[in-house]
Amino acid sequence: MLPPDLVAGCKQHRVLLAIAFLVVFPLLMPFKAIAVNILIYGLFALGFNMLFGTLGLLSFGHAALFGGGAYACGLAMLRLGLPWWAAILCAVVAGMALAASIGAFAIRTRGIYFAMVTLALAQCVYFIFYQWVSLTGGENGLRGITLTDIDLGPIHLNFVDPLTRYYVVAFWVALALIVLSRILASPFGAAMEAVRENEARARACGYDVRATRYLAFILSGGFCGLAGALQALHLSIVPIETLFYTTSGLVVMMALLGGMGTFFGPFVGAGVFLLLENLVSLWTVHWQIFVGASFIACVLFFPRGIWGTILLGRAR
Amino acid sequence: METTKKAAVTRRAILAAGSVLAMPGILRAQTADTIKIGFPVPLTGPYGTEAKDQVACAQIAIAEFNAAGGLGGRMAELLVRDDRLDPGEAATRTIELIEKDHANFIVGSLSAAVQLAVNNVAKQRGIIYNSISQSDQIAALPDWSKTTFHEAMTPHLTAGAVGRYAFSHYGKKVVFLQADYAYGHEMVDGFKAVGQSMGIEVLADLRHPLGATDFSTLLPRIQSLKPDILVLANFGRDQQISIKQATDFGLKKTTKIVAPILLYTSRIAAGEKAFEGVVGGSSYYWGIEATTPSAKALNDKYRAANEGRVPSDYGALGYAGVRSLLDAAKRAGSVETDKVIAALEGAKYDSYKGPQEFRACDHQSVQSVLIIESKSGGSSPYDVFNVIGTEAANADNLLSCKDEGHV
Repeated sequence: MLPPDLVAGCKQHRVLLAIAFLVVFPLLMPFKAIAVNILIYGLFALGFNMLFGTLGLLSFGHAALFGGGAYACGLAMLRLGLPWWAAILCAVVAGMALAASIGAFAIRTRGIYFAMVTLALAQCVYFIFYQWVSLTGGENGLRGITLTDIDLGPIHLNFVDPLTRYYVVAFWVALALIVLSRILASPFGAAMEAVRENEARARACGYDVRATRYLAFILSGGFCGLAGALQALHLSIVPIETLFYTTSGLVVMMALLGGMGTFFGPFVGAGVFLLLENLVSLWTVHWQIFVGASFIACVLFFPRGIWGTILLGRAR
Repeated sequence: METTKKAAVTRRAILAAGSVLAMPGILRAQTADTIKIGFPVPLTGPYGTEAKDQVACAQIAIAEFNAAGGLGGRMAELLVRDDRLDPGEAATRTIELIEKDHANFIVGSLSAAVQLAVNNVAKQRGIIYNSISQSDQIAALPDWSKTTFHEAMTPHLTAGAVGRYAFSHYGKKVVFLQADYAYGHEMVDGFKAVGQSMGIEVLADLRHPLGATDFSTLLPRIQSLKPDILVLANFGRDQQISIKQATDFGLKKTTKIVAPILLYTSRIAAGEKAFEGVVGGSSYYWGIEATTPSAKALNDKYRAANEGRVPSDYGALGYAGVRSLLDAAKRAGSVETDKVIAALEGAKYDSYKGPQEFRACDHQSVQSVLIIESKSGGSSPYDVFNVIGTEAANADNLLSCKDEGHV
């Protein structure tokens, strides 16, 4: 059993631990591109988890925030000619703006209705991007988001190099982790948990429940937009499928697999899901059976998710 | 092929061994100087049948190359990956093939969006990509790059050839029914472009959503217009369902049904009754072996390896796509990108369907288009089409390089 001091220390310095892990992570993976994918989807699941795990709102429309960020990043570079880092900031803003507009309608509802409204609005976004061929490339997706050289003053980086690409992505993910940890530790973070645990009581204590939810939705959009932008730079394309509802389903699966409401859970979920998919599909075309069976097993035997179960086991 | 093993059992070796057990011949143990061809195709999803046939055909090209001694003793191997018909997955798999497996070339894909995604990834890394499915954009700027090659036909070429045949044989009064997405739009544009010069009369241009299952509201309307030709610009299951419902409705009595592409695999799946008399285009049909020796050679090798079955149209493209690159590597005596490009540009070849040529300006394969008609009562289960016309390879039928943005 770990000494309690150490456990408390880990909790306190979770961001530092996470960043240390990000540094060594690519060395543990079979290849760098999957490490990049795990970070991107982990960040996406993290943004989703902020709403689902921390606030208890199940959104089925997060594909719009992720895909919206990806398109915003790509369009900012292709159509506006902005540098890559400015395009990433555009994507964060776009993710938040989309969340603000979807949230304005969806936040009044709860439970299954919230899931349905977010799903419907996200599909609207999908069809707008699908039909607007001159801007988005429509069915063929947005192509040509080519980032090759990164110049930071005297430092020159080659983004095509797998390890460099990983660390550039990891830098932004680390930044997001710092921001998220700060939000969760703030009074606003406590307010979100209060709303999740008992809405009536939170309202009675003087919290504005609707404003808390709305703000959390917008912040969640920012994280998802950032993940989308990193995806666009990593793949150098934005497929229209990024906005499709299956992407929303994917992130729900990842968050559940990792453990909702935990800090590292989304990354664990994304990692397990993507590794499983990647490795199993190398030796059989029936890989979906294995991924599906593992998911069912996780839901049945680890309802708190993989990371949630580990945390629980340690606390006992 | 000789399997060499390092003394230490690495993770990769274990993975490779596992793969060999599960899928013999698809993934072989990797040696340092093997020529690796990455092959992302949609093994799962609606085009799984076509994709598996592409793999089977590509393996023939690899086996041929290796049996002939490879490139000065360097053997080739095919690295098959499932892209799930998803551009994002295809891009990820291609990055993996290039960065982890160090693939020398990429061949594959079975949709316009997927091939554009693969092309984008490959061109950023300076790796040659030979695409084996239809697209107009891939040969045009800004998607095209010097490492981009296109073995398949383009929608402009296909629709043009089918249109030229159909409008001169069956009449000028035309109704279009198109699936409302890029494939349908591009094909109908191609038909209209050629139809304009032939003076056709478009009675209606109808659209249906992708994945439609009920065409019963559209069919009476089409019948009342009394067209000579109904052009069905849809694909796969949409095509099967719409042709079947049109047949049941009795539309064939008055109207000729024309599709830009008639798939061998769709026809086999749907049966002879529904498709009977439908005319369409194709890149390849095994029946041309009577007049084309290279087709006979491919068919015989395929039959020997696949219990007497014959290669499908898209399958044969898998063979041609891999073979073009391996032949060019032999001519260049190297797998270096620039040398292989030089060996491919302007190359004339006949690997499976008669004379072809990689046009130098846009790397598009100039090739013949077959006009086929579905028949019933064939002499074998594979005897499903009659070749009623062949438009010989002619660069004038393609979009010009100037129209594609090349200087």
